[in-house]
Amino acid sequence: MAEFLSQLTSVSSDSSDEDHDKRIRDLISYLQQPSRASELLAASGYLLDNLDPYLHTLSYLSVLILKIRSLQGGNKNRLPEQIHPGGELWRRAVRFLRSFDPFQIRYAGQEWRRLVQLVVRAAQAVSKPHMAVLVVRDAILRLDPSSEVLTSAHITFIKLTLISRSYNLAVPVLERQVYHFPTLTGQAYQKYHQPLPCGEHESSTAFITDASGFSKQLTYRDHLQFFLYGAMVYMALKRWDRALHYLSIVISCPVTNAVSKIMVEGYKKWLLVSLLRNGKLVTHPDIVSSHVIRACQSLTKPYASLADAFEKGDYRRLKAEAEVARSIWRLDNNTGLVHQVIKAFNKCMTLKLGRTFSALTMADVAQHASDLSAPLREVEPLVASLVMSGAFNAVLVQSHNHDDTMLRFSSPTRSLYAQEHYAWGRIVKEGRLLGVVAQNIYQSNHALELSNEQFLFSQKTLKWSDNSGKGNTGAPDEVADGADLEEDLMGDIH
Amino acid sequence: MDLPPLSKEQLSAVLKSSRSPTELYNTLVEYEVEACLMPTTDSDVSELLSLFYSTFFFAHLLTDQIYEARAMTQRMPQGLSQNDPSLQNCLTLLRAVWQRKYESIYKILRELPWPELLRPAVESYETYFQEKTLKEVSYAYEAIRPATAANYLGLDTTAAEQGDPAVIQKFTAVGWIWDESSRLLHPKPIPTAPEKDTRLYDEVSQIMALVGKYGG
Repeated sequence: MAEFLSQLTSVSSDSSDEDHDKRIRDLISYLQQPSRASELLAASGYLLDNLDPYLHTLSYLSVLILKIRSLQGGNKNRLPEQIHPGGELWRRAVRFLRSFDPFQIRYAGQEWRRLVQLVVRAAQAVSKPHMAVLVVRDAILRLDPSSEVLTSAHITFIKLTLISRSYNLAVPVLERQVYHFPTLTGQAYQKYHQPLPCGEHESSTAFITDASGFSKQLTYRDHLQFFLYGAMVYMALKRWDRALHYLSIVISCPVTNAVSKIMVEGYKKWLLVSLLRNGKLVTHPDIVSSHVIRACQSLTKPYASLADAFEKGDYRRLKAEAEVARSIWRLDNNTGLVHQVIKAFNKCMTLKLGRTFSALTMADVAQHASDLSAPLREVEPLVASLVMSGAFNAVLVQSHNHDDTMLRFSSPTRSLYAQEHYAWGRIVKEGRLLGVVAQNIYQSNHALELSNEQFLFSQKTLKWSDNSGKGNTGAPDEVADGADLEEDLMGDIH
Repeated sequence: MDLPPLSKEQLSAVLKSSRSPTELYNTLVEYEVEACLMPTTDSDVSELLSLFYSTFFFAHLLTDQIYEARAMTQRMPQGLSQNDPSLQNCLTLLRAVWQRKYESIYKILRELPWPELLRPAVESYETYFQEKTLKEVSYAYEAIRPATAANYLGLDTTAAEQGDPAVIQKFTAVGWIWDESSRLLHPKPIPTAPEKDTRLYDEVSQIMALVGKYGG
């Protein structure tokens, strides 16, 4: 048994990348030998107790999957009791997904995904989806801390957070910039550079590929669903700006002719969130095709009427529009958002007063902005809460003799501080985004051989080619090889 | 993360040892998975769960996550939340905080019966809420009557209205000016410490350098 164990623990990371890669591949070959399964299964209890999920990631995962398979029998959809939350295999799976070695796991994408799916299904089977949320999130971020490559695990995870109402746990994934699909393998430019999965890479696209198994094949629906669900998480947290951004991605998805139903759903929510975020409809992102907008508009007439009533400040009509299309909101699962739009009406009307007036009494605010049913004594707390939450730039001035409080818009000294604070926040945010974009451009240039260094190299090879005379036509082909580059450069110096 | 099993003693230890509300919240997030597995039929376990969810609720409030706090109340076992007095108090408090009913918030925190183990969290939240509100009021008002200010901070409004020096002193101590003649307080904005960001670029030129390096 000990000899068996020593074979399974042969991989260590204290060697060169090439050596590490070779040892991992040898171990995989060993684990995949046809006769090995029964031996591993027979000793699975001992092995799972003695292997470390971090140090011996591949062996541990292999034995765990074998054990689960054996309990499932021939039926892959069967969930044995031991994998249910609290069961022995559940505990082992959770421990593994939260502590695997992020380098070794790159060689076992299929198995990783299989285990993630099992944990999710097990939690859902006992109606406790929340139990899988933290595990799946940690597994995603452990595999790829930047979370820049969209995988099917991302979509499963976001769906899970919505079902279990664990919105905040989704934020660490959603706040990262997801801007890659798993890399397509077999591209021409890749034949010059095949990175070792176990090496340090600037981008996770080096090891999350269409062949790695970390994700099932993604369709346009998956892509749209991820961003729609992400927007829904932000809506639940009332982070309207982020929700609007995610919905903008949904409606900007390139299409050739037909518009997807998910995009129409996204457009409906985009209209409502736009009202909640800005108090008015914002213009569509420039990249949305005009035919998409036309198609969406024709399918969302009740939403447009509601938005129109809101923008025109007609509270009675707004209520009437909301009432008349109740069945539509319910059918679209947007009843909650519509209620919030109605509640936001007073707030938006108060905000709009700042465009016309520089100061008003509470009685004036009640007259101009509030819906007719709100008594005057309720107006001051409402306005005070808006000012205190920083929703708009104004101050309240009370007087001792008069009960009526003044609302004064844009106090110069205070607004200066607010502006500075706002600008500071924007610089930090834009700086981070710029860093992500710049890094991505750098990586793309490098992959496509379009970086400055490569242009310089091309220039030099051209010069070299010219200097060598017309007879030497094979030279450019030769310098494609890295070994020749050193000689050429040295040749240039001399 | 391997944590000791959830128990009253462990909960108390976590409350005492957490160096910040965020740390407390992060630890309790881990324990929620264990709490999900506990049966609510056992009365001892129900008591533990009530304490756990109440503490977790306060950890949400202390980290200013009111929307997530609401989601948490929907996640916890509904049978427990409908019958447990401590969790019922949490729901009443949530409603008051959601609706910004200042007087009710202080009343709920001070007068409703809270389990002994939860007391430190309740007291921490009262202090946190007072400080947060004081900052907000200092930005929102240019002039404010002492009674209104006292109401926001859960102080004696009658004493404040009469210009009680003890109440007025609480405001002047943070830089507010008391105008005896108009009997109004003039708040001075209390600056919020900016979020520490190690990746903050000190100069815009650094950003431009970044564009120059990669954008070419």
